[in-house]
Amino acid sequence: MDWAELIGRVAARGDREAFKALFAHFAPRIKGFLIKTGCNADGAEEIAQSTMVAVWTKAGQFDPSTAGAAAWIFTIARNQRIDAARKASREGRLSQGVVLDEEADPTLAADQIVSRVEDATRVAAAIERLSVEQSTVIRLSFIEERPHSEIAAVLGLPLGTVKSRIRLAMNRLRDLLDDAT
Amino acid sequence: MTISHHPPEDLLADYATGALDEAEQLVVGVHIADCARCSSFVRAIEKLAGASLDAAEPVATAADAFDAVMARIDRRPQAAPRVSEVAAHDPELAGLPEMVKRCKIGKRRRVAPGISMRPILLSGGGKSRAFLLRSEAGARMLEHSHSGNELTCVLKGSFSHLGGYYGPGDFDYGDDEVDHRPVVGDEGPCLCLVAMTGDLRMHGLLGRIISPFVRL
Repeated sequence: MDWAELIGRVAARGDREAFKALFAHFAPRIKGFLIKTGCNADGAEEIAQSTMVAVWTKAGQFDPSTAGAAAWIFTIARNQRIDAARKASREGRLSQGVVLDEEADPTLAADQIVSRVEDATRVAAAIERLSVEQSTVIRLSFIEERPHSEIAAVLGLPLGTVKSRIRLAMNRLRDLLDDAT
Repeated sequence: MTISHHPPEDLLADYATGALDEAEQLVVGVHIADCARCSSFVRAIEKLAGASLDAAEPVATAADAFDAVMARIDRRPQAAPRVSEVAAHDPELAGLPEMVKRCKIGKRRRVAPGISMRPILLSGGGKSRAFLLRSEAGARMLEHSHSGNELTCVLKGSFSHLGGYYGPGDFDYGDDEVDHRPVVGDEGPCLCLVAMTGDLRMHGLLGRIISPFVRL
């Protein structure tokens, strides 16, 4: 399925069939991803729903030439999650109801991945050149936010090796992006 | 503008995945908005995260989730662009990055001779504070270290310390092992956006005497 094309149809003419297909694929994955990264089920459900509302309203900002659909939807879910946490802390402080809306917090960067086509190509090429070992530690450590001790257990490596492997992977990604400039 | 000081990679990755504290996220975000190099790095992490999301084990949403989402879309008012009313009428904030202008910014407070700050009013859930720090040209910050982390992005002017020269867009990361004494450049006042956990620790006799009066 060409997700970028479906997002384009939502943007161009509010195509509900296209949106339904996007929802069927992404909503359960956003929820699963959030639960895996530490959200409770109710919170994950709410964030998955508000993410899909934002996918509809921001569809016109999606640029298929610079970003993959999954990365774009990830950034929306990320911002919704941060926003939900901030609203919760504001509400706790103000002890009065704050209207929830779909607009992300003003201090958040735009969901839209603003970058040139060359940048997108360079980023994709750099990721391609990371070894599986390197992309795995980046995923476990930063994306799934697992503690180093747990990563050590999962990979069957000493803690020190895990720490240095993460550091090397980050440096390698930086170098690959710099080299391509 | 040439940016020569960048955030460490793990900070960029935490930014990309949304794991940073609110104040830290703002300071790193302002640097990234100006820095193509770090912006690419963040894009790369977002792309990896997107692949991870796409590969995640699906968990069924509520039975009425799709209808609930469509109902929210249908009754959603047209969003008006948000402009902070404070920023719109505040000459000092003119020319600052959009991300800063959209924040609620508090009143100026004198910190030490030639140095003042304005707090950025955040949601209050984070453990670090953010503020705009303004130092007059040629001002010399007292020799200090930190009990926590300090993230700085230069907005206007410049400063220098043992780590080098820091101009607009440059990012400085100080942790509890850094002991430095920044000197503000002569070209004009230096305005920095700072996120800080913990407190500053002043060194030297003068620092110990005035430390109680330096409220940062």
